[in-house]
Amino acid sequence: MNFDANTIIYLLEIIVGGLLVGIGVHFVPVGGAPAAMAQATGIGTGTVQLAAGSGLTGLLSAGLMMHAMSLSPTFAQDGYSIWPILLTGAVGAMIMMDATMLTGSWIYAYAVGAPFASAKVNYDPITMFSQPPYVAPGTVGQGIPTVCFVSGTIGAAMGGLGGALIYFPLVLINGNPAMSAIFAIGIFMVDAVLASWNIQGTIEGFHDPKFKKWPKAFKACLISTAILAVVAVLITPLVGGV
Amino acid sequence: MDAFGMGLVAAMGALATVAGASEDIDSDIGSQSNPNSQVQLAAQVGNPHRIYNKAIAGEPPSNALWCTTAAIMAYVLIEGYHMPLLFAAAAGASLAALFDGVMSVSAYLGRNASQARFNQWIYLDIIRYTTPSIMAHVWITSFCIVLIAIMQVYILTPHHPFPIPVIALVWGLTVGAIGSSVGDIHYGGEREFQWRLFGQGLNTMLSGQIVRKAEAGLRNSIDNAWFCAKFGGPATGMGFGLTVFLDNWRTTVFDPITQAGAAIAMGVFFVIVMNLYNFYCEVSARRKYGPYPGYKGDIAA
Repeated sequence: MNFDANTIIYLLEIIVGGLLVGIGVHFVPVGGAPAAMAQATGIGTGTVQLAAGSGLTGLLSAGLMMHAMSLSPTFAQDGYSIWPILLTGAVGAMIMMDATMLTGSWIYAYAVGAPFASAKVNYDPITMFSQPPYVAPGTVGQGIPTVCFVSGTIGAAMGGLGGALIYFPLVLINGNPAMSAIFAIGIFMVDAVLASWNIQGTIEGFHDPKFKKWPKAFKACLISTAILAVVAVLITPLVGGV
Repeated sequence: MDAFGMGLVAAMGALATVAGASEDIDSDIGSQSNPNSQVQLAAQVGNPHRIYNKAIAGEPPSNALWCTTAAIMAYVLIEGYHMPLLFAAAAGASLAALFDGVMSVSAYLGRNASQARFNQWIYLDIIRYTTPSIMAHVWITSFCIVLIAIMQVYILTPHHPFPIPVIALVWGLTVGAIGSSVGDIHYGGEREFQWRLFGQGLNTMLSGQIVRKAEAGLRNSIDNAWFCAKFGGPATGMGFGLTVFLDNWRTTVFDPITQAGAAIAMGVFFVIVMNLYNFYCEVSARRKYGPYPGYKGDIAA
């Protein structure tokens, strides 16, 4: 490929995608190992793992949509249209995240037997339900209250959108979906890990005081994704695209 | 939309449900992932136990590894040797199960040997009869996921542009993330601490005080699998099955080329329904268990 105005646009798309992933991770309510024992609010797993699971499910949907577009009889005139690809990535990620949180809620509600409560706020900002009376002693909340669920849905949407926005220009550059997907997964992981360090592994969602730290992750993701974007754009001419 | 495509999507959903359930039961038998922190801690606070201890990695990376291993072998057999699809998937899954067996045994030996100073023994009988169960569940998980990938790449139209190993990597990560988020709560929150007060989360003071006695004799990991297979496993399967089914259903019913908008709108509809269902679960749990009786604050329940 040649360097031209399009290359700058591709670089920008990859960087914006990386930033969306980095900020999206801040929305996902993860409580880490304590949440798996109903000692903390949120989903009982690691930030990066959950964000990757949802974002990459979105990437699969986005890859399929992009491929389907190229099969269209009018593809030669129309070319790719970016919005359906991005939106289907976001929706795929949201479906995965919501299915996970919903089935997790069944276990919290009907097996462990814990009312959902957040220890970070007195009232749920969406339902206005009181929280402290339901927080059991020795815990920092349990389950996934509505505000966390909505926040997780937003985070998944941003992660899926970001993953698709990284994948889209890579396919245009190298024309190889498999290589682009692996590169997109790599960039996704870097940004998710940076954001995870910023929130020290656990967060409840946009109502958590830790959420205010997002500008730090923004700066870190901007620098790392910019470097990775340059590598991603350069690697095709170096190894030869398909 | 064609009937064949719908049948395939239904089969993929069913396979995903089985894969999710077996993934969670595998992690319960091996005591992998988040609740294993309590199993590790138990010996250190004076509770040596007979529970398997294989924290090879977090569930998503380890399942991604098994599924990709299986998928790479299947891919080589299909593309290089023109083997039948089912045979290739079965052969790949067997390889993944062998890899898992080796790593599980080394993880159990290593972890328990390092806890010798806390009186934690290495039980050879546990290795002998628990490891094959772990391997069997990994076989089921990777077989189902490789079959899903094969269906997406070779059979379902439009064919997925990613090769089988990349799809298996992504589904492996996803099934691990769901198993770690859903099934682990049943094992960690319920099974490991069955004598805590019901209707509340686990008090941090109880950390490491896991239940070590079984319905008969001393509890081992097979007992945990028996318990978690009743709810945690199926719920995990439901989570992964919903993900695979709903995500593929909307692009099969609506043509992704001409009806992309409808496919996206249908996905948003599912998301809204799931948000409302979670709200119902929250209200129902709050009503059933009520506020904590010893609460002394001034915020009304």
